Amino acid sequence: MSRSQTRETREARSELEARFTRDALPYLDQLYGAAMKMTRNPQDAQDLVQETFAKAFAAFSSFTEGTNLKAWLYRILTNSYINTYRKRQREPYLGAVDELEDWQLGGAESTTAASSRSAEAEAIDRTPATVVTEALNALSEDFRMVVYLADVEGFSYQEIADIIERPIGTVMSRLHRGRAKLRQTLGEYAKEQGFGVEGEPARESERKAK
Amino acid sequence: MSGCDCEHARANLEELIRGELRETDCGPIREHLESCSECRDEQQVFEKLTAAVRRACEGPAPTSLREAVLGSLRELHAEG
Repeated sequence: MSRSQTRETREARSELEARFTRDALPYLDQLYGAAMKMTRNPQDAQDLVQETFAKAFAAFSSFTEGTNLKAWLYRILTNSYINTYRKRQREPYLGAVDELEDWQLGGAESTTAASSRSAEAEAIDRTPATVVTEALNALSEDFRMVVYLADVEGFSYQEIADIIERPIGTVMSRLHRGRAKLRQTLGEYAKEQGFGVEGEPARESERKAK
Repeated sequence: MSGCDCEHARANLEELIRGELRETDCGPIREHLESCSECRDEQQVFEKLTAAVRRACEGPAPTSLREAVLGSLRELHAEG
């Protein structure tokens, strides 16, 4: 390579790096949040985010400016996670999760007597973040990710479908089930703590009946 | 007459709030919500749950991570 070509390459690279630092790096905190929800472990989350940024930078010249950078980064994050980390974790692969029985699908609202629904909203409001985090972490990974992408990141169903590479129907089903489960767990916590919710005894009876 | 029944409203409430419904489908559900306090409570629960999830996921990445990412970019740059 001639000297001038080398210089051009370097300049292009500097420009790319500047653009990457300006546009992609601001998503670091958000991506870390998502990585924490995937790995549930700060060290793995940091490694995953680093890997994501390295891959994103390597592919950045092929990213079309003006398209959805945030969704693009999340897709790299999700793929990296699936390829590198999920294999290592003990949690069983959850590919079959959509075939699970539908006991949660009826909608979580049926767990709570109508009169106590406003009390339920208040109880959720009072639940400490640590308890919510535990409840989130207890969800199966596929549910957890979709809840995170929808509720925290505000991605649309279509964007989530693109990120996790699954059909929209799967996204909706995971989101509804994940949130129903979350609501149930928080309801049980509220009852234990004795604040507010006087629902029927959650879903145990229903679950057994099926 | 409210726009639709509770069952229909509940089944579509989440999509309504997330802006995933076509505008023409929203009208009857919004109308129903105006006249049905139970469904409005249900909407409250939905929104509080979303807020709780957000709260639980707040927080910055460790500063060391930002530095590590910047560092590896510099390394990549030096290699290039």
